[in-house]
Amino acid sequence: MLLLAAAFLVAFVLLLYMVSPLISPKPLALPGAHVVVTGGSSGIGKCIAIECYKQGAFITLVARNEDKLLQAKKEIEKHSINDKQVVLCISVDVSQDYNQVENVIKQAQEKLGPVDMLVNCAGMSVSGKFEDLEVSTFERLISINYLGSVYPSRAVITTMKERRVGRIVFVSSQAGQLGLFGFTAYSASKFAIKGLAEALQMEVKPYNVYITVAYPPDTDTPGFAEENRTKPLETRLISETTSVCKPEQVAKQIVKDAIVVTMGLFRTIALFYLGSFDSIVRRCMMQREKSEIANKTA
Amino acid sequence: MLLLAAAFLVAFVLLLYMVSPLISPKPLALPGAHVVVTGGSSGIGKCIAIECYKQGAFITLVARNEDKLLQAKKEIEKHSINDKQVVLCISVDVSQDYNQVENVIKQAQEKLGPVDMLVNCAGMSVSGKFEDLEVSTFERLISINYLGSVYPSRAVITTMKERRVGRIVFVSSQAGQLGLFGFTAYSASKFAIKGLAEALQMEVKPYNVYITVAYPPDTDTPGFAEENRTKPLETRLISETTSVCKPEQVAKQIVKDAIQGNFNSSIGSDGYMLSALTCGMAPVTSITEGLQQVVTMGLFRTIALFYLGSFDSIVRRCMMQREKSEIANKTA
Repeated sequence: MLLLAAAFLVAFVLLLYMVSPLISPKPLALPGAHVVVTGGSSGIGKCIAIECYKQGAFITLVARNEDKLLQAKKEIEKHSINDKQVVLCISVDVSQDYNQVENVIKQAQEKLGPVDMLVNCAGMSVSGKFEDLEVSTFERLISINYLGSVYPSRAVITTMKERRVGRIVFVSSQAGQLGLFGFTAYSASKFAIKGLAEALQMEVKPYNVYITVAYPPDTDTPGFAEENRTKPLETRLISETTSVCKPEQVAKQIVKDAIVVTMGLFRTIALFYLGSFDSIVRRCMMQREKSEIANKTA
Repeated sequence: MLLLAAAFLVAFVLLLYMVSPLISPKPLALPGAHVVVTGGSSGIGKCIAIECYKQGAFITLVARNEDKLLQAKKEIEKHSINDKQVVLCISVDVSQDYNQVENVIKQAQEKLGPVDMLVNCAGMSVSGKFEDLEVSTFERLISINYLGSVYPSRAVITTMKERRVGRIVFVSSQAGQLGLFGFTAYSASKFAIKGLAEALQMEVKPYNVYITVAYPPDTDTPGFAEENRTKPLETRLISETTSVCKPEQVAKQIVKDAIQGNFNSSIGSDGYMLSALTCGMAPVTSITEGLQQVVTMGLFRTIALFYLGSFDSIVRRCMMQREKSEIANKTA
């Protein structure tokens, strides 16, 4: 009796596996596709641009610094697979003003056609204790990481819905999945992206537009080096639970997931991790207080 | 043999239940406590102020409009339980400038002593399709709902850490646990609060400061009426899966959880399920909470997938109906 139920369960699961591709989104064909990458002049963004270019896409790189853009363009063009491919560079601050961003997208579409895939990779990271972070840091991070993803997405969404095809990638972070010591401002901005993406996906799904939210771990980029400058000890110790990734590896996975589309146990494991993080924070606090007392009595 | 193992398991769980209060935070005593409520002149904020006042707290109401503040003060004072209680009103826009907010907190602390509990309830809600929302709406919502919670919290945190006692409440929303059609700007701002709170809790836990994030459902307030003004049909249909709550009920639950130091505050059975499902890597305040999450997650995720399927079909149906009527209009 139990065996029969088990057999039915296995057959059902196998059936689901077979049906799954039928209801999954049709993969986006990169050759000839127009891919816009914000924050594309360095770090993960540049690697994503390279990965798409290698697969035949036409790239529009968007970033603030013109020199870095040109350098990135040269590097990307080394990976061309045919003569027609183009890398277009446009310099703008995607978080400053929506109208500027809308113009940039218009320019890019005039040159390379409608945008098939938008990758929102423009972002920055600052870590520090809540009361030590400058107030302007909270404002800057939410502006660049969140609004700087809203504006380009809003500029491309109507055309994608009309054409009934599109991909929008948001690069969040593992810190956008859990809030860690030292990341009050950063986690908030990366969580915001997740909320935006979930709501947006529900709006655009019947239009064959698919949203991908990427959650990279610590990745070896200039942005990460910047984050490390002011990183508190507790954050460093907690981060040692994961290893630093290479941006090429992260980019490969993100592009794969963008193209295409085991819990109670995990929550248990998660609770143990949380417990260890809390004890790291407590230990550092007690050590700091001991040294303060020692300094006072000395 | 199996019976023995089951007996051990039951005994173990019972032991956890008994031990649980020993490791949970000591409840905050409201009588005589100084509670600051931003957005306290209306809606959920005002009800939270009333609820705390009824339990003996001294209230500082923070909002923009002075008339609404005075009206709220009169209403709250009806619920006093002794002669000493005070309701202080300070008018400021908590999202405008951090220095203004810091000043307001200083003023309040000069009059009523250090802040024991801060309730970040200042917020607004606008719903609409992503491309229909004004760009300024994205900026306004993130400014008021997120930065307007950062500034007051930053103004009180150092004192709370020094005194080794404090509560900070953030009022997020169920839309801060799942992104729904029509809530791109709003959900983003409410998700941001969750990220802020999780990170902040990890920083302040050894200092006996506890963060509570509340996730109210649709609640019958002026803010909700405002949200309904531009609400798309799809959002209205999807929202019909949950019922509208009374703000007094929401406030009662939030205050209870804040006193207890519970990180998660949810209302109703829908709220319970959503919170267990979306807890992610959020901390737990009691062992039993953790156990419940571990046991229920698979089931709740299964139920959630069915909900998501029904939301998607609502969106698809509305889209097809809209297109049919557009075609009908063209040929007419």
